[in-house]
Amino acid sequence: MTVYSAAHGAAPSRAARFTRRAAGAAGAYVLAILATAFFALPLVWIALSSVKSEADISAYPPMWIFTPTAANFEELFGKLKAFDALLNSAFVVCISTLLAMIMGTMAAYALARFSFRGKENVALQVLSIRMMPAIVSVIPLFIIARSLGVFDTPWLLIAIYALNGLPFVVWVMRVFIQDVPKSIEEAAMIDGCGRYEVFFRITLPLVVPGLAAVLVIIFMFSWNEYLFASMLTSSHAKTLPVLAANAIKPKAISWGLSSAAAVVMSLPVILLVLSAQRYLVRGLTLGAVKG
Amino acid sequence: MSIKVKGLSKRFGSHVAVRSLDIEIADGEFFVLLGPSGCGKSTTLRMIAGLDVPSAGQVSIHGRDVTYAEPRHRDIAMVFQDYGLYPNMTVYQNIEFPLKVRKVPKPERRGKILDTAERLGIGDLLQRKPGKISGGQRQRVSLARALVRSPHVFLMDEPLSNLDAALRATMRTEIRQLVANLGITTVYVTHDQVEAMSMADRIGIMHRGDMIQVGAPLQVYDNPRTKFVAQFIGSPPMNLIPATLSRDGRVTSSLQPFADLLPEAQRTGAIDLAARGVPFFLGVRPEHLTVCASGSANCVEAEVEIVEPLGQTTNIHLRVGDTHFVLVTGRSTVTAGSMVGVVANPEHLRVVEGEPRPAA
Repeated sequence: MTVYSAAHGAAPSRAARFTRRAAGAAGAYVLAILATAFFALPLVWIALSSVKSEADISAYPPMWIFTPTAANFEELFGKLKAFDALLNSAFVVCISTLLAMIMGTMAAYALARFSFRGKENVALQVLSIRMMPAIVSVIPLFIIARSLGVFDTPWLLIAIYALNGLPFVVWVMRVFIQDVPKSIEEAAMIDGCGRYEVFFRITLPLVVPGLAAVLVIIFMFSWNEYLFASMLTSSHAKTLPVLAANAIKPKAISWGLSSAAAVVMSLPVILLVLSAQRYLVRGLTLGAVKG
Repeated sequence: MSIKVKGLSKRFGSHVAVRSLDIEIADGEFFVLLGPSGCGKSTTLRMIAGLDVPSAGQVSIHGRDVTYAEPRHRDIAMVFQDYGLYPNMTVYQNIEFPLKVRKVPKPERRGKILDTAERLGIGDLLQRKPGKISGGQRQRVSLARALVRSPHVFLMDEPLSNLDAALRATMRTEIRQLVANLGITTVYVTHDQVEAMSMADRIGIMHRGDMIQVGAPLQVYDNPRTKFVAQFIGSPPMNLIPATLSRDGRVTSSLQPFADLLPEAQRTGAIDLAARGVPFFLGVRPEHLTVCASGSANCVEAEVEIVEPLGQTTNIHLRVGDTHFVLVTGRSTVTAGSMVGVVANPEHLRVVEGEPRPAA
């Protein structure tokens, strides 16, 4: 290439470079579109299925042109009272995510910044919550919930989800906080901040990408959680995943109904990810804070 | 007295970082803590700042005991080696932060920020983020942030060591002028003896957690108390020739003509050291030695090992038997391998203590 440009002067080489760059960009776009299509197709299929009748769904070859129907959504929100479950889910997941974020981030700060006896031990104990297979704890939790009188209440699920999310928040946020140079916090302390002010005014704004990533992930953990929700609720505190399981009927699976439930369940997550997208890219690649 | 440190110690586990330190720093004084890395100078500064809690001892600022006070209650400002700027804020917001935290009204803030920024020559950077400006500019911003509040005490932890040599020299002068104009008491930590010598009103030299010597730059340069100080300050360092005290009270060394010329006060010091069983050296700065004609009075015959012409000065490395020493002179025609006579300026001959001991 250098030989070519040396022999023919600047003008043709610039043109050649432009074509080459354009070709490269086009290639990248094609690949990106293919990848997007690959990952989006199932979602599109679910979205389409949610507005098809049972007959249209099972038609072969697949139908791309059909008369849309709201029957699945009507069944979901009418007969199955999905709106109640949606509210339950939203309430349980929002509160538990918030609790896990607040407690977890503060614990992470302590683990990242203070030295105290048995610090690593504490960190490991927090992590050990996640080491136990969930199914092992269901029966004990059921018994405890019955005796405390919290069975089938949102509070039980909030406690469980918050506790489940906590280790993840603590361990990931600890790394993010450790990445913030200590001298920045010390400068703030000299400038007139107390510990809490340093935490809220200086450190937290610097770890927003981490907070966003962690928030989305633990939100999704709880939002999609089925095992605890199905075993520890019966009618009042039923969440969306439990309700969606109603699509599995005695004789067959109602694909239209389950697709409609999937659409309803996915929407909040999609909205959340879109609104946090700005931070997610940086957050998920870790180590975003550098002076 | 602006800052008073009494019996200050810091232990990290079994490691003693700072051992029973006493310093008194006067109002408006520029005090430099000098020493190699790991000597405890930064730890001392951090204890004065309140960023580290002392294991023992007391820190007072303006007559108030602040040993356990939070940094924000000490009326101090600090400049860090890596600047410690808030990366998510603009330069303006960085300088504004200490005023904002202290709830200074907005119009007043604005005036002070613009004023300080102007004085430090960063007026046109105010809307940029710290990541988008150069190292020297960042250091100016961090100085501005420290100065905007007009603190009583100004602490600087190796503020110039991340800058290149040329910029370091300029900033050195600027900081010195700035602080002198404002009359703020300053404690400045550095490992660079040139910085210490050129900026300080007084230098405190630390080694392995001990304060070895405190004094004005030239006083420390001329009268190093220990071997460590003699070799740490000055380039090339002071020549140190092992010496002993003979039974009849004479100082003997391998360069006996120099030992014989020791001023009386120095000889008394040697007797004192010998009485305490402390080893000592005969010390003479390279620039206080002169080449002379062989056979002159009090002259030492030495072999020239290497000649290093540096332009302004020339370093001549000499040897007498197993004793090696250096002479600094202007231009010289002396060549390696030749024999020369060397005389010492008697009033600059010193007795220097061998093992470092904490200052009394």
